[in-house]
Amino acid sequence: MKRAALLFFILASYAYGYTYNKLLLKAQASIFPKIIMLDKKLYEKLVDGKIVYTIVYEKSDYYTASEIGKFIESNYRHTSTQYAFKINLVEFSEFSSKTDATAIYILNSDTQVQELAKYANKKGIITFAYDINYLKSGFLFSLMLEKSAVIYLNKENLNSNKIDFVDSLYQIVNFIDKNSI
Amino acid sequence: MNKKKFSSLSNKIVFSIAFVSLIITLVVFIISSKINKEAFHQIEIEKADIIAQTIEPLIAVNIYLGMEERINQTILQLTENPNILAVKVLKNDKLIGYVESKEHKSSAKDFFVIKRAITQPNTTKTIGELVLTYSNKGYNELIAKYKNLTLMLVFTLVILFIFFGLYVKKLLFPLREISKLLKGYSVNKNIEVPFSSQNNEIGLISNTLNNMQKKILQYSKKQENINHFLEEKVNEKTLELSMQLYMDSLTGLPNRFSIFHEIAKIEDGALLIINIDDFKEINDFFGHVAGDGILKKFSNRLKSIFKDSEFINLKRLSGDEFALLFTQKPPLQEFIYIAEKLIKDVEKMIFFHEKNEISIRVTIGGAYQIEGALEKADIALKSAKKEQKPFLLYDEKLNIEDVYKKNMEWVRKLKKAIKHDKIVPYFQPIFNNYTDEIASYESLIRLIDDDGNVISPYFFLNIAKKSRLYSTLTKIMIEKSCIYFEHLNYDFSINLSVEDILDKDIVNFIKEKIQTHNVENRIIFEILESEGIEKYEEVFAFITQMKKLGCRIAVDDFGSGYSNFEHLLKLNVNYIKIDGTLIKNLDKDISAQIIVETIVDFAKRLNLLTVAEFVHNKEIFQKVKELNIDRTQGYYLSEPQKNTINN
Repeated sequence: MKRAALLFFILASYAYGYTYNKLLLKAQASIFPKIIMLDKKLYEKLVDGKIVYTIVYEKSDYYTASEIGKFIESNYRHTSTQYAFKINLVEFSEFSSKTDATAIYILNSDTQVQELAKYANKKGIITFAYDINYLKSGFLFSLMLEKSAVIYLNKENLNSNKIDFVDSLYQIVNFIDKNSI
Repeated sequence: MNKKKFSSLSNKIVFSIAFVSLIITLVVFIISSKINKEAFHQIEIEKADIIAQTIEPLIAVNIYLGMEERINQTILQLTENPNILAVKVLKNDKLIGYVESKEHKSSAKDFFVIKRAITQPNTTKTIGELVLTYSNKGYNELIAKYKNLTLMLVFTLVILFIFFGLYVKKLLFPLREISKLLKGYSVNKNIEVPFSSQNNEIGLISNTLNNMQKKILQYSKKQENINHFLEEKVNEKTLELSMQLYMDSLTGLPNRFSIFHEIAKIEDGALLIINIDDFKEINDFFGHVAGDGILKKFSNRLKSIFKDSEFINLKRLSGDEFALLFTQKPPLQEFIYIAEKLIKDVEKMIFFHEKNEISIRVTIGGAYQIEGALEKADIALKSAKKEQKPFLLYDEKLNIEDVYKKNMEWVRKLKKAIKHDKIVPYFQPIFNNYTDEIASYESLIRLIDDDGNVISPYFFLNIAKKSRLYSTLTKIMIEKSCIYFEHLNYDFSINLSVEDILDKDIVNFIKEKIQTHNVENRIIFEILESEGIEKYEEVFAFITQMKKLGCRIAVDDFGSGYSNFEHLLKLNVNYIKIDGTLIKNLDKDISAQIIVETIVDFAKRLNLLTVAEFVHNKEIFQKVKELNIDRTQGYYLSEPQKNTINN
C-alpha cells in the first residue's frame, strides 16, 4: 500500500500541478497529525468531538491532497486515540471562516495565504505548511528533510493563548522567524 | 603498707567526659552514617530519576513522532554528565537507542540502574522504556566527603579534649599543690596555704584551710595546757595510788606488795616473818579497835627497835603478821640472834587498852636466802607454830615443799576417785569373844587407785579433812554401807568424826539413808574419842537422836586421848572400843594391861560392851579374852575384806 502511494505521488507530480517531494510529503503526513495530538488544549479545537485535519490545496493538487488524506487516514487507523480523526479536503478558493478545522495543512499555492494564516491563528487552529516559506506568512509548523526530519516552528505565532504544546515538542523543533527563513 | 597509687581527679573527669563524648560521637556517627549513606544514595537515585524524568518527554516526543534517529543524538548529550554511564531506549522491548560512556565501557561496575517508562506525550500510554545506568561515583564522593568531615570532627574533638584536659588540669593544679603542702602539716607547724587570693573555689578552700589551721593551733594550745594539767594530776594520783598500793594504811608500814617489789631487787638477803600469837583472841576479847591499836603500837615499837638498822626494812604482811626484810644478808648467827632477841623483847612489851594490860607473844619464821624467801619464811613460821617453837629457820631438810606437793597429789587422786566411784567400803568382822562368832562388821574406807591397788585411809584421810572432801567421803561410806547391809543380817559400824556430827547436812543425810535402807537397828556409829569431844552438847544431841531411831553408839580409840569417864557417862554410849595403842602390846605391857583392865571394869559397871581392836596375834587375843573384853577385831582373826565372809 505504501509503495503504491509512493508510486502515485511520483506519477501525479509529473502529470499535474506543483512538484512535491514525495518523501517530504510522506514525512509531513506522518508527523503533522501526531503534532496535533501534542496540543494540550486540543479538546478546545475539536469539531463535533473530532479532530478535523483540513488539507487546503490548489485545484491542480487535488489528487496530491487526496492521497495525503488517504495516507493519513490509513496511518491513523492503526493508531488508537481517544478522538476520532477526520480528513477534510478544501481548495484554497473554497476556504472560508465556515470551514471546519482542528488543524490546517496547506500545500503550495499562488494565492496569498496570510489571511488564512491570520484567521487560523485567531481561531487557535494549528497550521502546517508543506513549504517552509509559508511560515513567513504566519503558518506554525513545517518540516524539512535534512540529515533527518527537522520540524520548524514559527515562534512568532506561538504567542496565541490557544496554542499550548507539550514542552518536549519545543525541544525537538527548530524555531524560526521571518528573518531567518 | 602499700602506698596507694595517686589517682588524678582531673584526669578522671577529662577521661570520663572524653570517653562519654567519644561513645556519643561514635553512636551518632554510626547512626548518621547509616542514615546519610541511605540519604546520599537516595539523592543519587533521585538525581538519576530527575535526569530520566527530564529526558523522557523528549525521547517520548521523538518516539511518538517517529523521529527515532534523533534519539541517540538526544541521549548522547546525557553522557556528558560523568555520572551517567549508559542510556538505553527500548520500544516494544526493542533497543532503539543506546549510548554508553568510556568509563562504562572500561567495565566500571559501581553503578545503579534506573528504569523509566516512556509515555506518549499528552497521554498515559507507554510507548517505550528508558534505562539509565548511573554511576555511584557521586555517591562515593559524597561518602568520602562525609567521612573526611567526620574524621575532622573527631580529630577536632580530640584536640579540644586535649586542651580541655590541660585546662582542667591547670584549674585543679592548685589543689594538688595545696595537698602536697598539707602532707607536711603538723599541729605546731603553720603552713601558709597558697592561692588564697584567687577569687574562686580554690581561693575559698585555701582561705578556709588557713582559718582552720589557726583554729587548730588555738585548740592545740588549749589541749596542750589541759594535757599538761592532766599529766600533773595523773602523776599526783599515781604517786598517791602507789603509796596506797605499797603502804599499809593502819601502821604506815610498807605492805605485802612492797615486799614482792623489793625482794625482786635484792640480790642476796634474808627474811623474818613475825606472827603475833593468838591475836584473834585479843580481837575477840577486847574488840577490833583495841586490836588495831595494839597493832599500831606494836609496829611503832618495831620501828623504834630497827630504826638504826640500815639494811633491815620493816613491813606489815597481813593482820597480825609483820616482816623484817634484810636487804643485805647478815651472818647467820647474827640473823638468828636478831630473831631470838626480838622474841624476848616482845615478851617484855606491855600494851594498854583502857585499864587493861595486854601482853603478846610472837612466833617467827626465818628464811636465810632471798630466793622464795616469803614462801620459805612462811613455811618455817607454820612449822614453828606446829612444833610450838618461838622461832624456826627454814631448812631444806624439812622437805615441807615435798609434803605440800604430795598432799596436792593426794587431793587430785581423791577427787578423781570420788568422780570415778573408787571410794569403797571394806568390811572387817568383830568377833564375840564368848561365842567366837561374828558379832558385827566395821565398814572401813578404802581408795582404789588407777592400778587397782587398795589404798588405806592412813594416806588420805587427814588430807581429805584439810581439803574439805571429808564430808563427801563420809556420805559415800554411809550410803554404800547402808546399801550393802540392807539385806544382810549383820550389825555394822561406821566411823564418824566430831566434825561429821556437827555438820547438820551430814546428820540429815545419815537419818535419810538409814531409814531408806532400814538399817536403824543394825548400825553402830563409832565416834573418835581421840579427837577430843569438845562440843559435848551437840554430840550428845546427835547420840540421843540416833538412839531414838534405834541406832547404837561406840566410842572409838578410847584411852588414847583425854579420856573422860564423866563425859562418857553423859554420852550414854553402847560400846567402848579400846584404843589400839593399848591393845597392840597388851601381852607384854603391864601398864597397858592395868589401863585396859580399868576400862573393862568401868564398862562392865556401866553395862557397856568393850571391843579390842588391832589384835594381831594369838597372845594378844588370849590376853583380850583373859581381860574379859567382849569383842575382838584385828588382823589375827580377819583383815578387812571387800565383802563380808558369807558373801
